[in-house]
Amino acid sequence: MREILYAGFGGQGVLTSGLVMAQVAVFKKQQATWIPSYGSAMRGGTANCTVKYGKDTIYNPAQEEPDVLLAMNGPSYTAFAPSVKPGGIIVINNDIIGDDIAVRDDITLYKVPCTTLAKEIGQPRGANIIMAAAVIKLLGDFSLDDGIHGMNDMFRKKGKEKFEAGNMKSFECGYNAV
Amino acid sequence: MGDMIKGNIAIAEAAVRAGVQLYAGYPITPSTEIMEYLSGRLPELGRSFIQAESEVSSINMVMGASACGFRSLTASSGPGISLKQECISCISDEELACVVINVVRYGNGLGTLYSSQCDYFRETRGGGNGDYRCIVLSPESIQEAVDLMAPAFDLAEKYRIVTIFMTEGALGQMMEPCDMPDFIEPKRHSWALNGTYSNKKIGIFDRDSMKEAEALNKKHELIKANEQRWESGQVEDADYVFVAFGLPGRSVKGAVKELREEGHKVGFIRPITTWPFPEKAFAEVNPNVKGFISVEANATGQLVDDVALTAKKVINERNVPVWCLPCVYGVPTLKFTKEGFGRIINGELKEVY
Repeated sequence: MREILYAGFGGQGVLTSGLVMAQVAVFKKQQATWIPSYGSAMRGGTANCTVKYGKDTIYNPAQEEPDVLLAMNGPSYTAFAPSVKPGGIIVINNDIIGDDIAVRDDITLYKVPCTTLAKEIGQPRGANIIMAAAVIKLLGDFSLDDGIHGMNDMFRKKGKEKFEAGNMKSFECGYNAV
Repeated sequence: MGDMIKGNIAIAEAAVRAGVQLYAGYPITPSTEIMEYLSGRLPELGRSFIQAESEVSSINMVMGASACGFRSLTASSGPGISLKQECISCISDEELACVVINVVRYGNGLGTLYSSQCDYFRETRGGGNGDYRCIVLSPESIQEAVDLMAPAFDLAEKYRIVTIFMTEGALGQMMEPCDMPDFIEPKRHSWALNGTYSNKKIGIFDRDSMKEAEALNKKHELIKANEQRWESGQVEDADYVFVAFGLPGRSVKGAVKELREEGHKVGFIRPITTWPFPEKAFAEVNPNVKGFISVEANATGQLVDDVALTAKKVINERNVPVWCLPCVYGVPTLKFTKEGFGRIINGELKEVY
């Protein structure tokens, strides 16, 4: 079973990043759970969600010890980096998180300038999809095609297919960024 | 396998499919998505949705719809359900049927927004004044919640009792794949008001409380005999048996699996009905069991009382110790349960009973 923690400011789209991950897993007939922090979290506040997926039963849907952390801002990195499983992966948004951070020597750190990339491909609101795709690539369980099909299936069911071309562009960009 | 769906939305749609004709409520985190969803869904089907001016009025509307023989529903969280207690007691007194969803959040008074199970005592004992119980259903997953919604109404109507559907904040807010049940078209009940005064009127001074008490006890005994629901595993040879319901119950199953793999003889009982408490599940437990351990999302331990009471009844020739691992709020991790177990077998944690 895989456990991923998506964290950032409210409004950065981390809950959606996590949802894409969970939906791709379900699309590929795996078990998945998605559980958010909720309540007083709002735009500008903190937001995070935990996604678990795998072929077997998921017992505890809540955070235990993430294999991967996506940190979209500094406070998320500081708060959650210590909880990552030894040997795990941390992906940071290094448009916001600078190079002056303490890095654990038992994890692998990936820096993705997702906001810059999003602007470069003409999808300024696609940073969270870029990161979702980067995480999916690093986990190594799903192909680019699986990822895109799973994501498209999710947004179509939400009636948001008009953003499909842009989302696919963002997804490809993120998948190839790591 | 169905699509990913949020717990509260899935529960609301399941209620629609179970034939709910009226929802009345007042919003509160973490239950609000239930009424938000129904505010569009019920009018779409020509059914009634009311955002009432308060919790008190909403539960009274539910009582009215129930008296008229319709499947009626309200949902709230801890503090909101507190406000509804006077009317829940009245509905119980009138022997009407309805379902009340409590998406439990942590704390006393207004409390917090954390997910919790701290309303266990209130729900399983009948939370208002007087002397009654409600049937209490406590699902561990979105699928189980959805599958229990039609039974929640069936039970309420079969026994003319209130069914409390006790979920947790985390279950309401999380998402997982879920298959939806088919639509049911329930019939209006023969005992419902019909506008012709065909039912006998009983005034407050005409009541025979002795006779009513006898009938009430008979009803409770019948429910206890017939409606206990639970899931259990590996209790026959267990040295220690965990007892937990809802999301903690689900998490504990994972801890039991890992502890077994590590060579510990442990099992679990997961109550699905928290009232009636599944006493029958304890009859299957190894008679030489060394102890029971409740795992619960509250501060002081509540479920542990029912575990101890039942343990003393089932294994009556000796004093089986009962421990409690309260995680206060949230979902206990597998690590939490396993570490707690380690402290128990090393003698570092005192039993509660």
